[in-house]
Amino acid sequence: MTDLTQSAALSRSEPEAVPALRPGLIAKYVFILLWSAFVVFPFLWALTTSFKDANGVTNGATWLPWIQYRPSTQGWSSLFGGAGGTDITRPYLNSIAVTLGASVISITLGTLAAYGLSRFTFRFGWMRNADITFFFISQRIMPPIVLAIPFFLMLQALGLLDTLAGLILVYVALLMPIAVWVMVDFFNSIPRGLDEMAWMDGCDPVTTFVRVILPNALPGLVVAGMFCVIFGWNDFFFAFTLTFTKTQLLPVAIVALNSSVTPWWALSASALISIAPLVLLAFLVERFLSKGGLAGAVR
Amino acid sequence: MTFSFRSALMASSALALAAAPVFAQTDYSATYGIDEDVPGACSYASIDAKDYSGRTLNVITHAIPVIGEPTALHAKQFGELTGATVNVVHVPFGDLFQRIMIPFQTRQQAYDVLFFASLWLGDFNPYLAAVPEEMQQVPGMQDVTETYRGVANWNDQMLLYTMDGDRHYLKYRTDIFENSEMQAKFKEETGKDLAVPVTWDDYAEISKVFSGWDWDGDGQPNFGTAEVTKRDDLMFSAFISRVAAYAKHPDVGGGFFFDLESMEPLINTPGWVRGLEQFVAAQDSMPPGGTNFGLGDEIFSFGGGQSLMSYSWDDAFIQAMQEDSPIRNKVAAAELPGAREVWNRETGQWDSFDEPNRPAYVTWGWSSAVAKGSEDQDMAFDFLCFFSDEANTNADLQVGRFGVNPYRESHFDANFYQDKLGWEPAVAQTYVDTLRGIDASPNRVFDLRIPGVGEFMSSLAAGVARAQAGEATPQEALDGVAKEWTAIVDRIGADTIRGAYANVVALEDAR
Amino acid sequence: MYRQKYLFLLPGLIALTAIILFPLIFTIRVSFSGWDVYNPGLSWAGVKNYVRLFEDTRYWSALSRLSLLAISTVLIQYVLGFALALMVWKDVHARRFFRVLFLVPMMTTPVIMSVIWRTIFHESLGPLNPLLDAIVLGGQPWLSSPGWAFAAVMIVEIWQWTPFMFLLLLAGLLSLPSEPYLAAKIDGAGPVRTFFSVTFPGLAAISVGALLIRLIEASKILDTVYVLTSGGPGEATETASYYIYIRGLRDFQIGYSAALSITYLVIMIVALTIIAKLMVRFLVKGQS
Repeated sequence: MTDLTQSAALSRSEPEAVPALRPGLIAKYVFILLWSAFVVFPFLWALTTSFKDANGVTNGATWLPWIQYRPSTQGWSSLFGGAGGTDITRPYLNSIAVTLGASVISITLGTLAAYGLSRFTFRFGWMRNADITFFFISQRIMPPIVLAIPFFLMLQALGLLDTLAGLILVYVALLMPIAVWVMVDFFNSIPRGLDEMAWMDGCDPVTTFVRVILPNALPGLVVAGMFCVIFGWNDFFFAFTLTFTKTQLLPVAIVALNSSVTPWWALSASALISIAPLVLLAFLVERFLSKGGLAGAVR
Repeated sequence: MTFSFRSALMASSALALAAAPVFAQTDYSATYGIDEDVPGACSYASIDAKDYSGRTLNVITHAIPVIGEPTALHAKQFGELTGATVNVVHVPFGDLFQRIMIPFQTRQQAYDVLFFASLWLGDFNPYLAAVPEEMQQVPGMQDVTETYRGVANWNDQMLLYTMDGDRHYLKYRTDIFENSEMQAKFKEETGKDLAVPVTWDDYAEISKVFSGWDWDGDGQPNFGTAEVTKRDDLMFSAFISRVAAYAKHPDVGGGFFFDLESMEPLINTPGWVRGLEQFVAAQDSMPPGGTNFGLGDEIFSFGGGQSLMSYSWDDAFIQAMQEDSPIRNKVAAAELPGAREVWNRETGQWDSFDEPNRPAYVTWGWSSAVAKGSEDQDMAFDFLCFFSDEANTNADLQVGRFGVNPYRESHFDANFYQDKLGWEPAVAQTYVDTLRGIDASPNRVFDLRIPGVGEFMSSLAAGVARAQAGEATPQEALDGVAKEWTAIVDRIGADTIRGAYANVVALEDAR
Repeated sequence: MYRQKYLFLLPGLIALTAIILFPLIFTIRVSFSGWDVYNPGLSWAGVKNYVRLFEDTRYWSALSRLSLLAISTVLIQYVLGFALALMVWKDVHARRFFRVLFLVPMMTTPVIMSVIWRTIFHESLGPLNPLLDAIVLGGQPWLSSPGWAFAAVMIVEIWQWTPFMFLLLLAGLLSLPSEPYLAAKIDGAGPVRTFFSVTFPGLAAISVGALLIRLIEASKILDTVYVLTSGGPGEATETASYYIYIRGLRDFQIGYSAALSITYLVIMIVALTIIAKLMVRFLVKGQS
């Protein structure tokens, strides 16, 4: 992949490379800054709200601690076993386990299936490759609400209710379609010549896949992995319906703070804390992106 | 105060007697933050004497803090005292029903102890264990008021273990009602004296005058009324509060929601329609966004000093009375407003009353129960008994955010709130008088505790919301609801519903 | 050698089918039952639920409201995401910072962020209206008037999911080959013509996939509606998925909500297939 150098060369050759304060350029920065403000706004508000108490909230919209309201650490302490709260440490670890477990399985199975769909022709009755791909994706169409009871009965029969393994099983069905979708497009963008050269060298398809294609597929795996982690980490509904008291995931533990007296402070603090690991992920993905490593990942 | 062996022996019931050996004198009040251990079957000492090591109790309860926090607290204490493992899960109100119902219907033994709205007893009763006779005899249970013991019963069996008392009542700002400047202003605008509203017409008039201007001098506009109006929140309860005055005739029994005999819905009769018209009109006196307020918003609006009046559960009042609240001791409680004209469905006309008809609405209420399928019912009931043990309840009543509200005769004591919480005597007196008045009221409305109550209420809320948004007139909206209600009755079966509804009507017509 | 091809496809396909088959068949069966709060289990109710469904105007208007919501928010997300991707593609200071920043909203849990947004839109205590007043746009009845409530739901959706489009399109832009640009430059094409003759066709395939996935996901919108408005005022923001939730898990009409869901599934599959075919025809075919 040489996109970085290419785009650098490209930009050097374009007139924009000499930054002049043209109206278009100003408009561009204005737009970027406006959008940034829009993106940041809820987080800033959550940050300041997380240091309020009931009086701080009912005094109306205020932003500056000490000056406009008296700060309180109640919101934060309530997340770690303090008064008026819950301890989210254990749910945090559970969430990490379920998200990673389900993501790894989904990506493994999804990548294999995607490679098959990209390189070979299949026919099951009337279904061709495109239909099979759509079959995978279509699993995400069903509204989750209605799956609550069937999944519940299924895990009941398997003895997996209220366990991490049960949640992982269900999440695989939710995440694999995403992995397949991303990876099919990705494999399609890797030239078939690579495979053919390997075959001529005497590799069978499995060896070819492992030795030749997979290393080239790393950026695609990053995108697919990111989507799996995001959708897994943020699922609330199944984590909520298929567990009782022992296995609690982070969103469920956080929502447990949403009582009739809505504690704006604790919910704000928890919103910030729950995205922390995923923001790290955003940095990782961006690194790949900027290195040009993702080039082709989604073509 | 230290616990003495002698008092334990003297006061313990048979249950504790069996298991009250001599053991180390623990200072429970210091360890667990209670005032003092109250001797009894479920006191700290008695529970301490039990050994449940190696056993597990699974508890489902409401979100933190309301009811959820005391559950977690007492679960932890119970675990420490008995050696049991107690797992607690907290669920927001909106999803609590399905979290309990799915395991029930699929025969999955998920929870031993359940905390939920007593409203759902009509649906949950086949799955609950009856409270054992000896538990019903403990002094703490005997002290529960007749109203709340009534709520705990289903077909003459006690299925709920009472641990909270809930009802709707009016809250208002005394500093405004007693302010001569405000009184003069009200007189000027309406020609009447400013007084605490006794009818919904008064309520509407007052909230209109006190809307949209800054009457408390904090630089922000104030408003007349804060109400729960968000559709799938608890709006249906607010609506029923408003309707009761017009539709619950003191001399007509046999059903408020349905005619018990025919099982015809009554919700589109003139009394109900009048209530809805008022609910819709009141939107003009609500704060910005007030037409989409959930319970949490209502609590902040009144409890934070934005609104003059409000009516719903205790929370907003308690919020206003918190130690650091800017309007502490500037509020008071009163019965729900009433009506001088009440629809009589037997004669089919409006009856006039000199004294306004002010039915009490005993709504909802957190309650607890033990699952029939539980293999640890003994331990589960011990936990519930411990939860609502006098020492614990007295401590819980003092923490506003816990949401545990008076339900025993001994809780209706103004001194308690003055001494423990530092309320001004007048405030404590209106609070206690109001609660006691509701409990003793001869004309009372209870929730529709029948199978499918969720369906009936969400249909009702959808209809009311349509009227509020102007998508339909109040009559049209309620006609639509009545049609849906009839369909639900047909589907579940009129006899089934009648059988269940008879329990509710029996409570209403008992006085 | 081609026999090994099944080694790739089948593990995933079988695993997915195994997990999803029972729930799907079960749901179809439930949709013919009268399972509700009082009568649990698989009684036989014939097509009663389906008959009721066809007369249920609330469902059909919720469905058309959902179409409006999903299509409009996804299109807006696409346009905004495309614009943002173009802007931080090159020649912008601190572009790596902006790229990370623009991704962040997608990382948040919808059910929690909705609560934060509700506090922002709160007309008495929230920060949005004071801010709008300050910049003379004026506060709005965000959650209490039908039009604004609909807009509020859209804003939250756009905030949360524009990053999805942004990421896919940015990755696509970064992988575009440079030769066509040089060719366009030699032809003397301006930036607008370059965009329509080179950039856009190069991203057509990605666009189709991204739009489809977002349409699927946007149609399931639930938490945002539930927390912000519970479908109100009146029925102004009630979407099909929210309505199914109310019927299924609030009212506990399991049988009826299964019928609603199966209908929804069929409608969505048909609609998405048509939309996909149309998009491929107009966006992708023209290019090759």
